[in-house]
Amino acid sequence: MSERTLRNQSRDPLAVEYSAALAGLSVVPIATFFAAFVVGGLTLAGQRSLGSTILGIEIETVLTALLFVAGGCLLAISVGSRYGVIETTPDRSAGLGVASGFGFVAFSGIGLAMSQTFGLGRLVWAPLALIGGLTVAGAIVFAREDLGVTVPAGLFSVAIGSLVLFDGLTPAWAWSPAGFGVTFNGTVLIPLLTIVAGLVTAWAAANAFEGFGAAGRQAGAFFLIGANATLILLVLLLLIAFIVKNGFWYAVDGIEIGPGLNFHWPFVMDGYDVVLNQKGIYPAIIGTFWLVVGALVMAVPIGVGAAVFLTEYAEEGRFTSVIDIATNGLWSTPSVVFGLFGYAFLVPRLGNNTSLLAGMIVLGFMLLPLVLITSREAIKSVPDEYRDASAALGVSKWETIKDVTIPSAMPGIVTGIIIGIGRIAGETAPILIVTADNPQRSSAPAIMGSFELTTSPPFIVNEALLSGSSALPYQLYGAITTGVVGDDPGYGWATAFVLLLVVLSFYVIGITTRIYFRKKLQA
Amino acid sequence: MSNTQNASHDPAESNRDDRSADAVTQTTAGESQEETQTEWTDYEFRGEPKLSVDDLDVYYGDERALQGITMDIPENSVTALIGPSGCGKSTFLRCLNRMNDRIKSASVDGSVELEGEEIYQDGLDLVTLRKRVGMVFQSPNPFPKTIRDNISYGPRKHGDIETGLLARLLGDDSGEREEKLVERCLKQAALWEEVSDRLDDNALGLSGGQQQRLCIARCLAVDPEVILMDEPASALDPIATAKIEDLIEELAEEYTVVVVTHNMQQAARISDQTAVFLTGGELVEFDDTDKIFENPESQRVEDYVTGKFG
Repeated sequence: MSERTLRNQSRDPLAVEYSAALAGLSVVPIATFFAAFVVGGLTLAGQRSLGSTILGIEIETVLTALLFVAGGCLLAISVGSRYGVIETTPDRSAGLGVASGFGFVAFSGIGLAMSQTFGLGRLVWAPLALIGGLTVAGAIVFAREDLGVTVPAGLFSVAIGSLVLFDGLTPAWAWSPAGFGVTFNGTVLIPLLTIVAGLVTAWAAANAFEGFGAAGRQAGAFFLIGANATLILLVLLLLIAFIVKNGFWYAVDGIEIGPGLNFHWPFVMDGYDVVLNQKGIYPAIIGTFWLVVGALVMAVPIGVGAAVFLTEYAEEGRFTSVIDIATNGLWSTPSVVFGLFGYAFLVPRLGNNTSLLAGMIVLGFMLLPLVLITSREAIKSVPDEYRDASAALGVSKWETIKDVTIPSAMPGIVTGIIIGIGRIAGETAPILIVTADNPQRSSAPAIMGSFELTTSPPFIVNEALLSGSSALPYQLYGAITTGVVGDDPGYGWATAFVLLLVVLSFYVIGITTRIYFRKKLQA
Repeated sequence: MSNTQNASHDPAESNRDDRSADAVTQTTAGESQEETQTEWTDYEFRGEPKLSVDDLDVYYGDERALQGITMDIPENSVTALIGPSGCGKSTFLRCLNRMNDRIKSASVDGSVELEGEEIYQDGLDLVTLRKRVGMVFQSPNPFPKTIRDNISYGPRKHGDIETGLLARLLGDDSGEREEKLVERCLKQAALWEEVSDRLDDNALGLSGGQQQRLCIARCLAVDPEVILMDEPASALDPIATAKIEDLIEELAEEYTVVVVTHNMQQAARISDQTAVFLTGGELVEFDDTDKIFENPESQRVEDYVTGKFG
């Protein structure tokens, strides 16, 4: 390391040139990985077939070429580093982790080839594969780090490429392992293996980019962790894109704007009515809205209040730990059990039919533990200095909680509520049991209009609260399973799309609130 | 030690009596470990004793953090508490406004009188006590609110300022009083010049030194008589420290200031009298600052202030 630094400082023209070569050779596999990821991903997602072309080249050829280029670069680095042409600072060995990883790959590859392609019995292939795997692992352990990282990764990439190039693996290839009801197709395996090989070569290249050693291992790890984080984002985007693609046009079909303020969006603003030939989900949207609002009204005051009590007043001890355990247990209770409880306990007491109110209460129970847990954490993380400062001014505990602790904890509390809304808005099982009557309703529950004052207790009644309702997840479930809507898959997709929009708009409200509270706390 | 509240009770006189009586008990009941303790002569105040501490013991669980502390803190002056880490000076300070109540394992035995009134009596109103005895902490801890709200927080909570909707309906002129209060406290804390144009900014945007002066202003807003400061400048740079030190000296004209510091030069610069605590929670010597630093009675104090240990 020190030698390298000295060289760079003395600006030895050769050293600069060689480090440029290393940078170039190690950037290429990372670039090819991204290309393979995009092209292979498109193929896996069914957007392109392996036979179709990109920029005039067949996709199968593109993937193969990427494999060879990445593998070739790595092998070039290994040769250059081995003979000192490229300046690197490798350790003595790549380590047991890398060795066992590549050893396992070798074991699996040899084993599969022996047993499936050549049909050898397990007494033959198992020892051979084991010997092969151990040899690879041993070679990596005893080789210097630069070789131990780049050579196996490069060879792996080239091997997969050769397999495709020499038709060992073709799009038509299919393999059904005996006693396992899944068929592996070449159309899936080729892009998948290309992406995996790309990941391995890109990791090795990131390692080489920093010249191996501690810095190299760190770069390799950063690359893998970064790839993980990106993958999470991609899963979300894929999910949303899939639903939008399938549901968007159905959902926005028939929107009329004007004349004047006249605006009509049939799918969102109509009920479901066979006679009027309306296929809308307005009742379900309103049902979900009221369910979420009702659950929040139920759960937030109780949850935050309990959190304040447990954190600020109750002494840490058996009582609080029992409540903690109970809260965590409540949080992990399956939602259908909540639904069953609501059906057996609440429904008979609330007019003996499924109702919106029962759904609100059950969802409130489900939301309660999350609000409690997150509020508790948020209140715990308020610095004790604030409490000390307030106490030293002679301010009572309750005033301190009201004016200092809770405002400081507000962003955390709101975060918990946001997560909770995401959960309950999409909850199907309890709704199915305690709220739903007819999945495809023609009219929405009119909560605001149903409040009536009476002269006798309870003085205020609301019929709509006590009658059944639909909700978006339940409507979706109905559309998928019961076939009430007939052969109309777009209806289900569009419902999912609107459900996503409703949940996201609750998120937007929550996140805006959180930003507001954060702003108030920050300079 | 008299905990009874007597209308004709003259705090100064009675305390002085207590004081000399204690000097006697201290000499006779000298435990073996206190043998090294020099019998520092009874200290004559220049003013009235504001706080009078008598045989104060503090325990954290079974561990004794303070041993029989007896001292009188004079009015309108700066009293410095110095000593090595873990000697109990901060614990002692927190006894004076009963902040130790907030630590569950802490128990206090003995007497602290504020102008002759026992603060460790049953049924004492902590709100009034802490309004009269304010505190500034080691690291600046302004609330995450605006500068204005930080200062008006205390008075608002004590009902001295009401600016809510109700107050407006009732025609209260608190808004104006709040402005005056904020200006007065910030001026007293020598912060007005720097922040007068951004009172509605969040206090966390101020620098550390400004935050600490804001904390002092916040403390002044509830009109305390005594201000306790727990190493108020230890988290600050030298320039901010100098400002805080000047401020402390100014404040002593109106308030009784008790400052804990581990910085002996600081104690020598700002204080009128100095109490030296040494390991084990004992008060070794309490006298005029000049005397402590130039000619202490106790050899241990001399060793400490001249830097031989600590």
